[in-house]
Amino acid sequence: MTGIEIGILAIGILILAISLGMPIGVGMLLVSFGGVMMIRNERVAMSMIGSVANDSLREYLFAVVPLFVLMGLLVTVSGVGKDTFDVFERLMRKLVGGLGVATVFANAVFASITGVSIASATVFSKVAVPEMTRHGYTKRFATGVVAGSSVLGMLIPPSLLMIVYAVLAEESVGRMFLAGVGPGLLLAGLFSLAIIGMAMWRKDFVFEAGDDAAKDVEFEELSGLDIIRKALPIFSLVTLVLGGLYGGFLNPTEAGAVGAAGALVIALLRRSLTLKIFWNLLVESGHITVSVLFLIMAATFFSRMLAMSGLPNMLGEILLGDFLGPYGFLLLFLVIVILLGCLIDSISIMLILLPIALPVAQQAGFDLIWFGVMTVVAVEMGLLTPPFGLSVYTIKAAMNDPDLKVGDIFRGAMPFVLAMVVGLVILAIFPQISIWLARL
Amino acid sequence: MNEKNNNFVAPKWERQSHWLSRYWSIIADGLGAIGTILIGVLMIIICSDVVMRNLFGSSLPLVSELGALTLVMIVFLQLGTTVRHERLARTELFLPPFTAKFPRAGMFVKAMWDLVGAVLCGFIANSTYKILLKDLKFDNYIGVTGVLTIPTWPFRLMILIGITVAAIQFFIHVITGIKAIFALKEEE
Repeated sequence: MTGIEIGILAIGILILAISLGMPIGVGMLLVSFGGVMMIRNERVAMSMIGSVANDSLREYLFAVVPLFVLMGLLVTVSGVGKDTFDVFERLMRKLVGGLGVATVFANAVFASITGVSIASATVFSKVAVPEMTRHGYTKRFATGVVAGSSVLGMLIPPSLLMIVYAVLAEESVGRMFLAGVGPGLLLAGLFSLAIIGMAMWRKDFVFEAGDDAAKDVEFEELSGLDIIRKALPIFSLVTLVLGGLYGGFLNPTEAGAVGAAGALVIALLRRSLTLKIFWNLLVESGHITVSVLFLIMAATFFSRMLAMSGLPNMLGEILLGDFLGPYGFLLLFLVIVILLGCLIDSISIMLILLPIALPVAQQAGFDLIWFGVMTVVAVEMGLLTPPFGLSVYTIKAAMNDPDLKVGDIFRGAMPFVLAMVVGLVILAIFPQISIWLARL
Repeated sequence: MNEKNNNFVAPKWERQSHWLSRYWSIIADGLGAIGTILIGVLMIIICSDVVMRNLFGSSLPLVSELGALTLVMIVFLQLGTTVRHERLARTELFLPPFTAKFPRAGMFVKAMWDLVGAVLCGFIANSTYKILLKDLKFDNYIGVTGVLTIPTWPFRLMILIGITVAAIQFFIHVITGIKAIFALKEEE
């Protein structure tokens, strides 16, 4: 068998094995080991699996993963999410569909201190959904807004997906973070437009029928002082992390450590932390870290095996030739990403596809920062699409409301998926939105 | 990543614990706890470095090398408990509904995957052992000679222990899985 055939076989077996429930990291190790064994021999495969396990994770940069995850978890338990929502609720109350827009922007700000979409989905389904239903919004719409805006968590820095992409593409993490800001704001804007548009022209989708009284339910009064008090913790944390990062005081790993320490101080000041809770948060950060980094380790082996097989090069020649051309390839890639998003989680998609797609993107002469932003947006669409939209299931679990059907949340999130498609087209036509800040 | 809910709830037969399995859980989860504490340690080391550099103008020595090695240890020390609690990322498209319908066939598939995991972790352990011997033989270290050096073998040993525990844990899943299949058969 030629290397290329072995490469194709490996990808085929990998897809089969993980759809049959093999742990994704184990599957990647298996086909990589088998692939190298067939291309070279058993001895090479054995020494490669050892060196990958020992060396591929030995990067100071990876310490950023447990730290940012810990920071996100600490912020989540300390109730900062609710305060952020309260502040935006106060600011947006005059707007049609204002609570929806407030959720989007509260999510955008909250996203700048957590790197995981699922965290945002959990927090805001407990904070924003009850408030919206109290004001006469339908549950379908309310949960849809939360699901849709939770994807901002992965675009607006710090973001776990951007870190993973930066590692695979050998781009700087700081630049990838900056690249997410413009597209994140673009999506927040598109989401708000969609909400206002629906609140004006598709009232039945947004508001409970015949429940006009609910719209006049009193808002909790907040004085200027309250707003400052509620906004201060999150504002200082964002300043500390992003300011430190872009002011040149901190590298990404240090920003993670300082952010986690800051979040710890906030949680302690608000008395929301017992030793037991703190320990559980550390354990949870550990589990997330291990599952992410084990995947990264396996993906390193997978990408070395693929490089040995020569498959990415050959794919590049075929795909970029007369057959598809660079933009045809981009379209094909994004469609595959979105389809896979229906089956497996975001990070695994990136780790499986990028070793194949990045060399091709490079041959096509794409800006890899821009390509990364497009990938992340497409991957995040998978969080909202049936049958396996993870954000949607998280919201379902967090709401714990037997009347709320998963299908309703998917339907509620649909307008936001469409808004993301629009966003993806805009980002494809204007690469500057992603690149401008990052290449400044 | 762990965005998944843990749908693989440990079945009854796994909870009825043998004394051996109780000792084992202390080993696997205990190593995990060390890894968990290291996350806090990592945060403290890096923060002190930041404070030292920005206030006193001098960084602590070896922080980036130590940080990198600490992270590797965090991952390998916790790998066993992560495997034990079924927290490795996997798709839930096929296996859980299949197992619900055909319990024995589903458990068999799962046991096969655990066996693959056990074998691959065993390979990694084997290869790491050779690297450890090399580290010992050549006295490999990190840092600058004459200023501050730390030998690499203790870290390597931790990796070896972690990956071995993970391999054994996978293997325990295989055994308990097969046992459960036979237990079900007898019930029928």
